[in-house]
Formats: sequence, structure tokens, C-alpha cells
Amino acid sequence: MNLRRIGLACTTLALYLGLLTGCWDRNEMDELAFVMASGLDLADDGELETSLQIALPTGIQASDQSGGKKAFMAVSEKGKDGMDTLSKEQQQLSRNINLGHRRVIVIGEALGRNGINQVMDTLLRSPESRYNSYIATAYGTTAKEVIKTPYLLEKIPAVGLNNIMEGNFSISVKTDEFLDGLATYGKNPVTPGIRITKDALGNPTFVLDKIAVYRQNKLVGFLSDEQQKAFMLYRGNTQVITWSLQLVPPKEEYKGTVNIHFLKVRTSVLTRMAEGKPAVDLRIKTTCRISANDTELDFSRPETLALLEQKYEDELRKAVAGVVSVSQQEFKSDIFGFGRKVHIDHPYVWKEIKEDWNEIYPSVPVDVKIEVKIERIGRTQAPGQLMKY
Amino acid sequence: MKITGMQVFWLITLMSMGMTLVMTLTPSVTSAKQDIWMSVIVASCITLLITFFTTQTSLLHPDQNLVQLSRTILGKWLGSVVMLVYFIQWFTILPIVLRQFNDVIHIMILPQTPKWAIMLIMLSLITYSTYSGGIESIARCSEILGPIVIIMVLLTLLASVNNVDLHLLLPVYADSGLSAIFKGSLAPASYLGHSVEYLMLAPFLIKPRKGGKYAFAAVITASSLVLLAMTMAIATMGVPITPKMWYPFFEMSRKISLFGFIENLDPLPIVVWVASVFVKLAVYLFITSYGTAQYLNIKNWRIMIWFIAPIVLIFAFIPQNVTEAISNYLFNYWIPIALPVNMLGLPLLLLIVGKIRQVSGRSAQKG
Repeated sequence: MNLRRIGLACTTLALYLGLLTGCWDRNEMDELAFVMASGLDLADDGELETSLQIALPTGIQASDQSGGKKAFMAVSEKGKDGMDTLSKEQQQLSRNINLGHRRVIVIGEALGRNGINQVMDTLLRSPESRYNSYIATAYGTTAKEVIKTPYLLEKIPAVGLNNIMEGNFSISVKTDEFLDGLATYGKNPVTPGIRITKDALGNPTFVLDKIAVYRQNKLVGFLSDEQQKAFMLYRGNTQVITWSLQLVPPKEEYKGTVNIHFLKVRTSVLTRMAEGKPAVDLRIKTTCRISANDTELDFSRPETLALLEQKYEDELRKAVAGVVSVSQQEFKSDIFGFGRKVHIDHPYVWKEIKEDWNEIYPSVPVDVKIEVKIERIGRTQAPGQLMKY
Repeated sequence: MKITGMQVFWLITLMSMGMTLVMTLTPSVTSAKQDIWMSVIVASCITLLITFFTTQTSLLHPDQNLVQLSRTILGKWLGSVVMLVYFIQWFTILPIVLRQFNDVIHIMILPQTPKWAIMLIMLSLITYSTYSGGIESIARCSEILGPIVIIMVLLTLLASVNNVDLHLLLPVYADSGLSAIFKGSLAPASYLGHSVEYLMLAPFLIKPRKGGKYAFAAVITASSLVLLAMTMAIATMGVPITPKMWYPFFEMSRKISLFGFIENLDPLPIVVWVASVFVKLAVYLFITSYGTAQYLNIKNWRIMIWFIAPIVLIFAFIPQNVTEAISNYLFNYWIPIALPVNMLGLPLLLLIVGKIRQVSGRSAQKG
């Protein structure tokens, strides 16, 4: 009896062991192709073209022994939808495609302008894909080109892209935020815009110095330069931006410019109803540090500092109001999420207007006020150039 | 077979919490939107009411389980009819939960593994634990699993704190309204309402009269964790996206990203899921077998397991896809029938009739 029980227990345990191995979903490291970035494009014939940047096994290890070898490969296929192209790509690979570590999803400009609904479904449905990937839009090029472009600083370009966005060197938008922008009435999605360029030695590389603006599910344009900086200021994404200003007219010895860094940015959006229509008050309070001074002014004096603050408040207000009006007039797209704030502050009015928000938004009055406080003036008191005694 | 009060606490907590977290978030958000936390509070109140009815009913005859109780109180014939209603609930919930267990595992982690493999492992596990020691071994398992599950839930929540954006909970009330909040509370209430099974567990208690407070504690623990988790899930993912997913609680854990290297923590909720499904299925298998045996006057209740387990497996294959397993059952049977009848109505009926008979019995004795 006792022996029988022991025998029975052992058999059962062995049976469980056999079942627990999970033979059907076995994933071995050396049987997987890790996709680091993927690109989505509209092909000339209207089909979808996807590209995958796959880390080569040598590229995953950080060692430099591989020498001049490439650390990634790229495959690209055309097809009817995302899964169709993915299966075609799988046929070219000896390892199973694994999307779990995808860092970046690049949307080609042509596809963006054509609308991205169909692609989004693929992103959401697959059990492997996660909402932690960053989304970016290719500027003046295709996603395929971006995927193919090597990046010298990192072995795998996707890691470079990822670090740029994660380090807040550009705006960063993850999949879930992007999808949220697509799915919410009071907000339209933005992504960083990537353009391909050459470095000073002539090697191809990429820069993320644009912001792609979407209206519902269609790309409508890009913000660049001043507008891009003002939008990053609104998002409080001021790690890399500095703002220079012509404070006094240039002289022979001095160019008359001052440059500041933003230390702290606090944005508040207030909405009110004016004659039955929503109006927005945008307030940005920032604390700054003077990072360059090419004037003969001495900012350790309170009145000069006050003048500087005053000038900056005007300048920044113009820039932010400028990007607001571009979003209203040119793109007709509420990238600031003002509608979301109207929703919170005036929920019952919002119910009536939410479906027409994209049409109402261009005519919403937006009042911008900026408060600049200069907290630090750098290590030097007087301008760096030596004054003659 | 004897169990302690603490074990009842863990049994009910586990049965209620894990499944509610995973299965009811989507139907609830669809209706109540960002005011889901109000829905969960309403649901908790409904559940406390259910618990009140059941614990009071069990106090009428502390040594009897539901099968005996309904016959004692309502008489042989009516009592048997009432029990049939409960048997429908028990016999359908078993395959549905088994199937839901399989679907979650399929959708979230093991898309290639065949259905029968996942379900067979779970079924043999619950059969073994039920057969080997009945409610006693299940209760002891739950005493070990319970704290682990709670730690896992808390870990998931703690790691998600930095993803929470409380603005997503605004505006309060305006988007949903009273009826939407109430409607949103039905799904969590029907899943939290497992305290009704206390009626089957109470007679096994060492001190049956003192079990009530453990049942209440379990319901309160489960409800507050569900409240916290659901509110955080909404505040993490936002109302537009959450209803589009089958299992938002899992998605929340996928968003976890701490210090740049702690990522992809989806195994945590899988532990919660597997452990609570195991306890729930095992408890249901036990009370179904035990109850059926008693109902049919079969002496050895363990024989019933060998009939019920295969039936459960076969039934679990019937739903064609996730929609049928989750939504159809939830909206066509569990909410409209099981919640008002099995959880609220019948315990209340037993309580009222039982009280009347108790009082009239006493006065008859006096007279």
C-alpha cells in the first residue's frame, strides 16, 4: 500500500514536470531575433512596408572584440498589413522574431500623412508588444531609411534613438501616450521628428530636432527651430534647450546677446467660459540660469536683472503664443491638450462640444503669460570679458 | 475536516480578489469611466450586504451547510429546489473559471500552448488537492498562497506609483452619473460576492459561531485592494485605452519601468492570477462535490470528484473564444441571475424564513 502510494506520487510528479516545461512556448535566447526598432511606411503602390532593425548576436554583447563588424541588420518587406509583412520578414530569418525589446517605432512621413489607424491595431493586438516603446516620425524621409541608418556613437542605432528620447534630449512619446492622444477628443498626438543628415566627417546620422504634429490619426506637419523649442518649454522638456536673446544692440566689442538655461518650468493651463465659449489661459513659470553673457551689463545688479527678466518674458511669450497660433491656424490640431483641461474644468459643456473640438480649437482664444525668474547668474558676476580699468 | 477562522479569511480573500482584479476592470470602466473607484465602493457595499446575509443565516444553524440549511429552513421540497439554483451556479462557474484561466495564460504569456495542456494541469492540481484532504488541504494552501498573492499585488501597485497621473481621474462624476456608476459596480460586486460560499464553509469551522468576523475581514481586505488597484490602473492608463484591453491589470504591470532597469514585471500578476484561480477552482470543486453528494445522499463525497472533474474539462472547451467566456457568461448569467438570486435573494430568503421559524418555534415552546 505504502509503496503504491509512493509510486503514484512519483508518477504524478513526473507527469507534471513533463507538462510544466512549456514546450509549445519555449523561447531560447539563441533562437530569437531581437527587434530593436521597427519602421512603418506607405509603399508607392499603397501597400504597407515595414522594416525591422534586428540586433546581431555580437551586437548584444557589449564587448568590442567584433571589431569593424556590423552590430545590426535590417529587413524590410511590403504587404497588406503589419502581420503580413512580419511573416514575410520571418521567412528571411533563421531565428524567431521577438518584439518584446523593441525600443522605437518609426512612422514614415508618407504613411503618417495617409493615416495610421490600421498600423495601430497591429501595435495593440500582439501579445508581445509593449507600451514602453517610443514613437517617432521620420521627417522628409521614410522609416526604412531611418532604420537602415547606422549611428556611430552606439552599436545599435535604436539604442541611440532610445537614449536620446529617454534622456529628454528631444521630446519623448511612448506608445501609450501616443495612443491616448489618438483616442481622446481633447488632445492630439505629437511625436519627435527624425531627420537623416550627415555629421561633419560625412557619415550618415540622424537628428531628432523636429516635432511631428498629428491631427487625429493623420500627420499634418512638423514644428522646428523656435516653435519646437517653445513647445518643449511648454512640456517642461528643457534639458537641452537654451534660449538666447538680443538684449542690447550689438556693439563693436559685444554682440549684445544673453543666453539662459531653464532650471525649472511649471506650466498651468486654466480654462474659463467666455460667452459660452471656452477660453484658455496658459501660464508658464520658469526659473532660469544665465549661461552666457555677451554684453557689458552686470547682472549682479537688481535693475539689470529685472530688465533681463522683463525682456525674456516678452520674448518667450511671443514664442509660445507663436506655436499656439501655428497649432491653431496651420495645423488645426490641439497638441497642447487644452481640450482635456476644458473637459476637466467644464465637464458638462465639454459633453456638448467634444466631438467638434477639432473645429472649435482654432478659434479658441489662448492667453499666454510667462514669468521668468533668474535664480543663478553663473560663476561670474560681471561679464566674462575683462573690463579695462 | 476542520478549518480555522484565519483559513476562511484567506480562502474568501483569494477567491474574491484575484479574479475581480483581472476580469472585472474592463466591464466596469466601460460603464463608469474614471469614476470606477465609486463603482468599486458601491460594489463593496453590496458585498458587505451579501456577507451580512450569509453570516447571519449561518448563525441560525451553525453546524449545517447550505444543503442541510435550506432543507431545514425551507422544508425538504422547497429546499431542494433552492439548492438546484445553486448547483447551476457551481456547475457553470467551474468550467468558466477554468476557461478564463486558460484564456489569460493564452493571451498574455503562452500563445502557442494548446488549451488542453493548460487546463489539464490546473484541473489535475485542483482534483488532487480536493481529493487528498478536502477543504482542509485547500484551506492550508490558501493560508500559504494568500500572503504571497497580497505581496505580489502590493508590489505591482508600488512599482506603478510613478506611472500614476491623478489627472486622469478627473472630472469626477460628470462623465458617468449615478446609473453608470451603479451599472459599473455590478461586475465587481458579482465577483466579490463569493462570500456567499461562506455558507458551505462555515460548518467546517472549529468555532462556527465566530466565523462571521473573518468573512467580513476577508471581504473588506479584498475590496480595498481591488479599489486601490483599479483606481491605479485607470490613473496609469487612462480611460480611452483601458476598456480596449481584455486584462488592464496585466497591462499596468507591463508599463512598469523603474530606474531604467526594472522592467517587464508581468510575471507578478501572473502569480496573483494562477494562485487565486487555483484556490477558487479548488473551493468550488470541493463544495460542488460535497454538496452534490449530500444532495443525492451519497456517503463518500470523494466519488463525486471523478464525475465532476471530467465534466468541467469538457464544458470548458465549449466557449469559442474570449468574448464568450468572459462577456456572455458575465452579462447573461452571472450579473443578471447569480448576483441578485444566488448571492442576495436566496440568502435573504433563508435568513427571513429562518428567523421567523426561530421566533415562532420559541413562542411555540413557551406556549
